[in-house]
Amino acid sequence: MGERVVILGVGLHPFGRHPDKSIGELARVAALAALKDAGVEFKDIEAGFCGHVVQGVGAGLRTFGEVGMTGIPITNVELACASSSRAAMLAADAIVGGLYDLAMVIGIEKMQRGLLSGVGGAEGGYQSRMGIALMPALYALMAQRHMHLYGTKHEHFAQASVKAHRNGVLNPNAQYQKAITLEDILNSRMIAEPITLYECSPTTDGASAVVLASEKRARQYTKDPVFMDTWAGGTPKYVRGEADFLEGPNEMLARKVYEEAGFGPEDVDVAQVHDAFSPGEVFLVEELGFCPHGEGGPFVYEGNTEIGGRIPVNTDGGLLSRGHPIGATGGAMITELTLQLRGQAGQRQVSGAKTALMHNAGIGGVNVIAFKR
Amino acid sequence: MGTEASTERKQVSIRGAHLRLGESPALIGSRCPGCGEHFYPPRHVCLNCYQEGLDEVALSTRGDLRSFTIARMGLPGTAMTPPYVIAQVWLPEGVAVATVLTDVDPEAVSIGMPLELVVEKLSTDSEGNDVMTFKFRPVREG
Ligand SMILES: [Zn+2]
Repeated sequence: MGERVVILGVGLHPFGRHPDKSIGELARVAALAALKDAGVEFKDIEAGFCGHVVQGVGAGLRTFGEVGMTGIPITNVELACASSSRAAMLAADAIVGGLYDLAMVIGIEKMQRGLLSGVGGAEGGYQSRMGIALMPALYALMAQRHMHLYGTKHEHFAQASVKAHRNGVLNPNAQYQKAITLEDILNSRMIAEPITLYECSPTTDGASAVVLASEKRARQYTKDPVFMDTWAGGTPKYVRGEADFLEGPNEMLARKVYEEAGFGPEDVDVAQVHDAFSPGEVFLVEELGFCPHGEGGPFVYEGNTEIGGRIPVNTDGGLLSRGHPIGATGGAMITELTLQLRGQAGQRQVSGAKTALMHNAGIGGVNVIAFKR
Repeated sequence: MGTEASTERKQVSIRGAHLRLGESPALIGSRCPGCGEHFYPPRHVCLNCYQEGLDEVALSTRGDLRSFTIARMGLPGTAMTPPYVIAQVWLPEGVAVATVLTDVDPEAVSIGMPLELVVEKLSTDSEGNDVMTFKFRPVREG
């Protein structure tokens, strides 16, 4: 067993539309906030990992360089919407292995407006030409299947977005800080049935930063650390006869993380899940074990994932309301769970939260992380 | 339908679809000689048993609707005008194919309905050729 890993500092640049700000400026705000939160200076950071997707060559140095040029190794990490959580895992792996005592992650993205095309990358192909490679459509195909198999209703999915926006009101860093009703959502523009516009995460500009430390180093700064306890990443696994579009083996990764963390889904106090589209929360409360398969719709609809519910999910507004600057999202999830476990989440606070679980998915891979205080 | 070969415009398949044109159109997939697994699109290495060098096969032109969505919003760069039905078709070989439905009332689509492959012209390319694509439609009675 190697060194335990502590989330020593977290910081965000508020999420939203920032067309006039460079990625360096966004990153600087998040990074300085995280360093201040950790109580460390940049010159003490031994390695940097930058999660981003489309910010081009050298984005790692362009962002870290805003707060210092100390000659440390900086690695760019791309895993689509899960880039900065994977960056944090790589930093944590290095700390466990004894390579570093202090490492830092910056997650960054400035996005074009409009719908994300899902598959095929630059190669395109018939799916792009025929309008099939549409991210909301991929979620919609799974949603329709879920409705068919389990009787899930559109309202069930939509309620995840109602809840997300209600939580966003309580988060000063959220892109949307405005509550919307179930009717607003159901009546908003239909994108791909059953998913409406207000059930799609927005395109967002923003940055997140996380300072990770070995436990022995962290003890110099804090008496009551939040541990990044266990983590597992994965890619889609070929299963004969399986046709679902999956970003990764969510259930297998969750089982692995629960086993190593020594707690189960019933013990999780607060969670972050990848709600790029509202059905995502319904699928994930099942796959992460918070409720039985097929019951995710009513589980969410009846309020079990609200702050104050059985398992509060996406207390900061989630991707739907906090916003989803793809490379920065993982770091924002870590930020929220760290604040929750420290009892610093203000009006969003889940009382007495001691354990947390996070799921961040991107095309090409999934990360599941458990946190403990 | 063409009169003379010289005036007939050439038909070409849409890129990436592995679509066989002609009298008996079909999607071309792979079959593993080792374990019998089928794949679409075709591939070189079997994902089930890792055998290399799979056989090229024409896949069934009939299948069932596994899931669908009605796209209500168009995307730039596509050849589709909303609303259109995006479908996942399950072929008897155990292969899922992403496609679009045609000749169908979007409101009458239901999971499990039997479907058949059809070839349609999608667009004309820069050399004047007809770019052909595949869609699926409900199997007609009788
Ligand atoms: Zn095989």
